[in-house]
Parts: sequence; C-alpha cells; structure tokens
Amino acid sequence: MRKLWLALVACLAFGLTAGAAFAENVEFSIPLPLTGTNAKFGEIEKRSYEMAMAEINAKGGIKGKTVVLRFEDSQGKPEISRSIAEKIIDVNKQPIVFGEYSSSSSKAVAAVAEERKTPYVVVTGASDDITQQNYKYVYRICPSNAYYAVGLMSFLETVVKPKSIAILYESSDFGTSGADEMAKSAEKVGIKVLLKEKYEKGAVDFKPVLSAVKAANPDVIYMVSYVMDASLLMRQIKELRIDSKLFAGGAAGFAIPEFVENSKDAAEYVVTATLWSPQLPFPGTKEFAEGYKTKHGAYPSYHGAEAYATMYLIKDVLERAATWSSEDITKALAATDMTTAFGPIKFESKDGYQNQNFMETFVLQVIKGKHETIWPEKYASAKYMFPIPSWRDRK
Amino acid sequence: MWVKLEVLLQTLLSGVYLGGLYALIGIGMTLILGVMKIINLTHGQLMMVAMYIAFWLFEILHIDPYVTLFIAPPLLFIFGMGLQKWLIDPVLRVESILPHNQVILTVGIGMVLTNVATIAFTGNYRSTPVDYASKAYYLTDLWRNAPIELSFSLPWTVSFVLAVAITTALWYFLAKTDTGKSIRATAQDRDAALLMGVNVGRMRMITFGLGSALVAAAGCLFLPIYYLFPSLGSQFTLIAFVITILGGMGSTMGAIVGGLILGIFESVTATYIGMGWAPVGRFVVFIAALVFLPGGVASLLKRRSYVK
Repeated sequence: MRKLWLALVACLAFGLTAGAAFAENVEFSIPLPLTGTNAKFGEIEKRSYEMAMAEINAKGGIKGKTVVLRFEDSQGKPEISRSIAEKIIDVNKQPIVFGEYSSSSSKAVAAVAEERKTPYVVVTGASDDITQQNYKYVYRICPSNAYYAVGLMSFLETVVKPKSIAILYESSDFGTSGADEMAKSAEKVGIKVLLKEKYEKGAVDFKPVLSAVKAANPDVIYMVSYVMDASLLMRQIKELRIDSKLFAGGAAGFAIPEFVENSKDAAEYVVTATLWSPQLPFPGTKEFAEGYKTKHGAYPSYHGAEAYATMYLIKDVLERAATWSSEDITKALAATDMTTAFGPIKFESKDGYQNQNFMETFVLQVIKGKHETIWPEKYASAKYMFPIPSWRDRK
Repeated sequence: MWVKLEVLLQTLLSGVYLGGLYALIGIGMTLILGVMKIINLTHGQLMMVAMYIAFWLFEILHIDPYVTLFIAPPLLFIFGMGLQKWLIDPVLRVESILPHNQVILTVGIGMVLTNVATIAFTGNYRSTPVDYASKAYYLTDLWRNAPIELSFSLPWTVSFVLAVAITTALWYFLAKTDTGKSIRATAQDRDAALLMGVNVGRMRMITFGLGSALVAAAGCLFLPIYYLFPSLGSQFTLIAFVITILGGMGSTMGAIVGGLILGIFESVTATYIGMGWAPVGRFVVFIAALVFLPGGVASLLKRRSYVK
C-alpha cells in the first residue's frame, strides 16, 4: 500500500513540475530592501515593478511569455544582496539581473554579476564608482551621483548666485559621493565650501553641528540624506532659525512626500535635486504617476519611476536580443535607445563612465506643502520661490 | 566673539537637554541593576515597545504622545513585573554553570521584542508629526536686544522638565515611602532585608516594573523629537549601560549626573570635533569611567560624604 502511495505522489510531483516547465512563464527574482531602514523605497519599487508587469502581461508579455516576478528581501544589507544575486545567477540561471535600491547593495550585486558574466541593470544605486570600474556587463539607467545635482547647479548659478555653501551628508556611499560631487561642482563655479560635515544615519541631535553651520553663515545649506534625517535636519534648522538664502537637498530623502509629512512647515521652500517628477512630459509618465496614486494613495518617488522603466527596458532588451545568452543580451542592452516613463534611456561610455545613461536632472521645490517641479523652466509645473522668507517672517 | 559664544551656549544647551533624556533612560537600568544585580539588556527594547504604544495611540485615536505618558508607563510597569515574575525569576532560581544567565535571558527577550515588532509593524520608519514638533522659544523673545540667539526647542524643554519631575518623584518615592525604603534595603543587602521582613520577591518585581515604566516615560517624551523603528532599542540599551557604569551601578544620583555628563560630552564632541565622532566620544567616556573611576560618579559622591 505504501509503495502505491509513494508512486502516486511521485507521479503527481512529476506531473506538476512538467506542467510548470511547459507553462509559458518567464520568471525574474528581484532583490530589494523590503525590511530594514530602506523598506519604504523597497516597497515603492516593488509596487512599480508589479504595475509594469501587469501592463506588460496584459499586452502579451515578453515574446508571448507571461512575466512572473519574485521579490527577495536583502534587508538593505549588501552581504545579503550579494548572496541573493549569487543565487539568482547560479541557481535560477536568470538571463539578466536587475534590482536593488541603495548604492552599497547595487555595488555588491554588480560585482557578482560581472564576475559571473551576467548582465545587470542598476536601477537606483547612484554612487559614481558603480559604472566607473570598466565593467562589461553592468548597465545603469539612473544618472550617477555626480550628475544628480546638474539641474540644481544650473538653478543655483542662474537664479540664486550664492557665494558660499555648507554641505551636510550622511556617511554611507550615497551621502559621501553626493557631498564630494557638490563640493567639486561648487568650487568649479566659485562657490566657497565653508563646511563639509558628515553624520551617522539615525543621529538624534544635529543642533551642535547646525550651530556651527549657523555661525559660518553660508548662503546655501546643501544636505544629502535619507528621509528621516532630512526631516530632522529641516526641523532643527527651523528651531535654530538658521536663515540661509536657500536650503537644498540632494534628492533621496528630500524628494519624497514623506519628507513634507514629517517636517510639516519646516519643509516649505526647500529645493531638491531630483531625477524625475510626475509632472514631466515623457510618454507614459502621467499615466504611471496617476495610476500609482490611484492604486496606492500617493505619487511614486523617482525610484518608482526607475523601477517601472526598468521593467519596460527588460522587455525591450529581451525582445531585441537574438538569443537570451549573456553576450546577446549585453549587445542588445548596449544598443538600447528608448524613451520610458522615467525618461530617455541610452547607454553611453564617456567621461570615465561605462554603460551609463546620461539624463537631464530636475529641481523640485516644496511650495504650499507639495513638491513642484521648478527647473528647468521648460518642465516647470510652478514658478520657483526665491528669495525665501526668513523663519521669523513665516506665519 | 559673540558668534563663538552662541555656538558654545547652544551646544551646551543641547547637551543638557540630551543629558536629561539620557538620565531618565539610565535611571531605570541602574535601579534594576542595584536591586536585582542583573544588567537589563532589554532596556532599550522596552522603550521601543512604549514608543510603539504611543505611536499607535496617536495614529488611531489621535492621542498626543505627552498624554500617553499616563498610559504607556503603567502598561510597561505591568509588563515589566510580568517579565520579572515569569521569565527572569525562574531563570535566576536555576542552578547553572553560568551565574549570569539572566543577562543572556534579557538579551534574548530584547531580540524577541525587536523581531515581533518588525513582523507586526514592518521596518518602516514611523513618526508622530505633531504641530509643536519644531516649535521653539528664543532668547530674543524675552530679551529683545540680546547679542546672541538661543533656541529652546519646545519638545526638548518639555522632555527635560518632565524628566526632572519624574526623577524628583522617584527620589521622593525611594527616600520617603515604605515601599521605596524596602527597595533600597533590598538593594543594599538582600538577605538582611529578607530577615527584616521585606518581601524581597515583590520588591524585585516592583523594581523591574518601575525601571520599565521609567524607560517607557522616556520613550513617550522622545517620540515627538525623533522617529521610530523596531531596532531602535539597541542604541539606547547601550547608552543606558554607559550611563549606569558612568554613574555607578545602582546609584540614581549617579545616573542623573552621568546622563548629563554624557549628553554634554557628546554635544561638545559633535560641534568641535565632528558629528561622526559623537559615538566615539561615548565609548571614550565609557572606557575612561571603567579605567579611572570604576565606582562611577557615585563613588565620588560617597567619598565626599565620608570626608564630611
């Protein structure tokens, strides 16, 4: 009797797996920080990938196959991202890898992908060195940190014309490279860097360092932070009544709605560099932004747009590639020239970067509690507010 | 010159505010250490639990965190008593190779609390953006022509004042009431207290509950100033531990002084050396206390009273 049961179970198992093999699915495992400090962004990206997947499947999938997504939680720790990437490539034999949020995690995955000669698309990791290592298989759609602030610099030079700047930044890869870039760009145009101070993410009290900033009296205070630090910084700047001509953020924490929710009136008039906003005129941007808002109650951050566009990029690449071998996919990636809801994607190798998508960046400003695109003026959804009122004069 | 003075005074003020909060966190741990002779390494996690209670009451019922000051500490008091009675005491009674099982037990409890919170509430940052979160009072409001501007943040000031009030109430409780005296007796000599008729078991339960309630109060005061996530506890357990050592194990006065010293030291380090060095400053103080002043600040205070 026992033997009969075993035989039956074996047949069933075989039947099921055989069935799965014949179903027309193409599966992707995507590493994301679903828990831990960057969970919020992991969630935004997951939802955006899912939105794109649903749309792609509704139109027939990739080469007729249904796209299935699995999300692996890296907890925001590069060591875990690394092992997830190894699993995806070695065990799942996924033809192309994409995902991850932070620069540190993206860097870890990029190293694994390059080692194993598998193409990897960097979605949101912005640290410059990811595409400066002469990697053949790593392609990045988001601008590198050095270019994040291009739009912001143009705003500073054209409108604000500051003479001095103070830079505060969080101590990981993202903050450090953003701060270094701003320092370099500022020096180049003759803005004096009065202070460049790093802090540990999660710090409680910035007032000691902010008092020193107040004493230095810079024209602009530039901060590179993730969201909670960004809120605390602005709230404490308001408490100390530091009256700089402008408060500027280097994207990330400053560019998402939570920043305004947590800082309340301290966020008003703060500008930030950003890679994308729901108001941009690219094809699919408005539909994506409004669709996301309807489904999840708030506009997606630029990370969501990057994830959404990556899904479409993968579809485009896999459809153009002659076969799904690493070499053919990499060739197809290199030949990419498309416009997505995030913006144009075309990979170039120049200025010391390889396989990098160079894109215009924009500037947002919090006006009446909402992020508005203010620069370049041709994309603006509202007129910029400058000069800004002092803290005492705000109601 | 005025600018330098302003930076210094604002830094010292931040240090005092921070110190007050640290003192409140440290007092609970030092009390538990003094009475029960165990290092409560789940101290920060208890604070986290209280902060989640405050957060959810704010989210769902719109109750201000300062009002939760009357709700969370009693809840944590009962929770602490429960932990002591059903988890810590039984472990204490078991004869084993490691006499410090209770310490490992508290670490375990802390991990369970953190992970339950992560599963239940996700790792997302939570905050209670109350209207007065960035409100502040200024020196120039009182003294129109002051040469410098000092900012007194409302949430920090409330937190400091209430911390002082709670600490005073605690002192009164320990010094003047019967239960308080029994607790101090148990801390001084457990067996003698037992012989004198003190219900040592109950005192231990009450002490653990009290320590938990104190750190819960600190959590409620802290929530409007900062934000909340499940692994918040560990950094505060560490701070509480440093203050306990710095202040002298078991000494409430020492914890207060120790907290203030630590707060001011961290602020000064942050301004004049660099913000990244503040945690280093904390450990420097910790090691210096262990090496040069093993009995903590309390031993300095005791020495003085002997000389008198």
